[in-house]
Amino acid sequence: MRAPGTFSPDNVVVGHSPRMRAIFDFVKVVSKSDSSVIITGESGTGKEVIANLLHHASSRRHQPFVAVSCALFSENLIETELFGHERGAFTGAIKDKPGRFEMAQGGTLFLDDIDDVPLSMQVKLLRAIQNRTVERVGGTRSISVNVRVITGSKRDLKKMVAEGNFREDLFYRLNVLPIVLPPLRERREDIPLLSDFFFSRFARARGIDVPAISPAVRYAFSRYRWPGNVRELENACERIVQTCTCGTVRTGCLAAGVLFGAGDPAGAPAAAAQLTAGETPSISLDDRLRDVESNLITWALKVSDGNKSRAAELLGIKRSTLGDRIVRCGLAEPAAADAAPAADAASADALDGAAVSRPEPLAVSA
Amino acid sequence: MVSRDQIESVLGRIRPMMQADGGDIELVDVRGNSAHVRLTGMCAGCPSAHMTLYMGVEMALRDEIKEFEELVVL
Repeated sequence: MRAPGTFSPDNVVVGHSPRMRAIFDFVKVVSKSDSSVIITGESGTGKEVIANLLHHASSRRHQPFVAVSCALFSENLIETELFGHERGAFTGAIKDKPGRFEMAQGGTLFLDDIDDVPLSMQVKLLRAIQNRTVERVGGTRSISVNVRVITGSKRDLKKMVAEGNFREDLFYRLNVLPIVLPPLRERREDIPLLSDFFFSRFARARGIDVPAISPAVRYAFSRYRWPGNVRELENACERIVQTCTCGTVRTGCLAAGVLFGAGDPAGAPAAAAQLTAGETPSISLDDRLRDVESNLITWALKVSDGNKSRAAELLGIKRSTLGDRIVRCGLAEPAAADAAPAADAASADALDGAAVSRPEPLAVSA
Repeated sequence: MVSRDQIESVLGRIRPMMQADGGDIELVDVRGNSAHVRLTGMCAGCPSAHMTLYMGVEMALRDEIKEFEELVVL
């Protein structure tokens, strides 16, 4: 079972895509009813979020919301998990234990991964849902339960019925109000909104300012396939917020899988990045700082077209200090970059120009 | 022996995005089946970016070039 968590309807991002808007409107309508809802969608598309939302918008919201993944349990365990057991029903059953149906009494039961429930168990599930009663394992009395059942599936149950892997009668019992969640790659217009939301949430949790996001990162995010959908996007944002050291999210912050996946002309996901961390190399702080300094100076000279006054301005240091540091870092002066020393306000535009052009290899003798 | 072109073609997939951020991954040298690269621009001093390089780019190079051995970040 999943932790009840801290779900709040205010923390749900609707997004701009027409499909998601339609889904949220539909959720509002069907939350008032008690009929079964089946939510189909790939892993990470937000099935449990929708189930939670349905519960919180319903008249059952002050009663329990119980979410169970049916994939977590073996065939025998599912039965005791859902229906509970009586003391002495089997070895180790030392006391009575209510099942998830009973725990959700009066509220909502979300059965996720319903496509993983074995056929033998499906018939028992059907009976429980149909008769609104459960029998604990080893017990004889029927316990009546008042729960709204919402199911989640990552596979198309209709197809599974056709293949004989899912009971038709159970399918029709569950499939009263179907909701199909689109994968993230089919609603890419929502990626900026979602990532901004995650970035600010994780930054708040870490107690730092929300980082600025470079256009290249936004581009990579919009190109990547996101096979893990919103969950993967959420994790990518968390990783970035936890590792960003400079306050701006740039391509260097991205996991290589996202970077290569976005750079792949076919848009296909990069070969599953089974990345293992190598040994941590020892570093020299002085060398590293000089690298940083020399890189920043190179960058500033580049975007100011070699204008040192402007570069010094960009770096927030004096023109004379910049000269000293160029010497200290051993940065050879590019021959053609002896531009007029006048600080030119109009060259601010050079930032945009330089951002897309390929930097010339300013000689960096490290 | 790995050729410069082979390595450049893998780096070329992520290079436009890095350049758009004012950075680059520069192929300094190819020695045997290993490549020496340098990260330049804004991400050069960031430990997280170096991690990306060590792990991700090396993995990508090994995936696409069978004989590739080691990525050395200068």
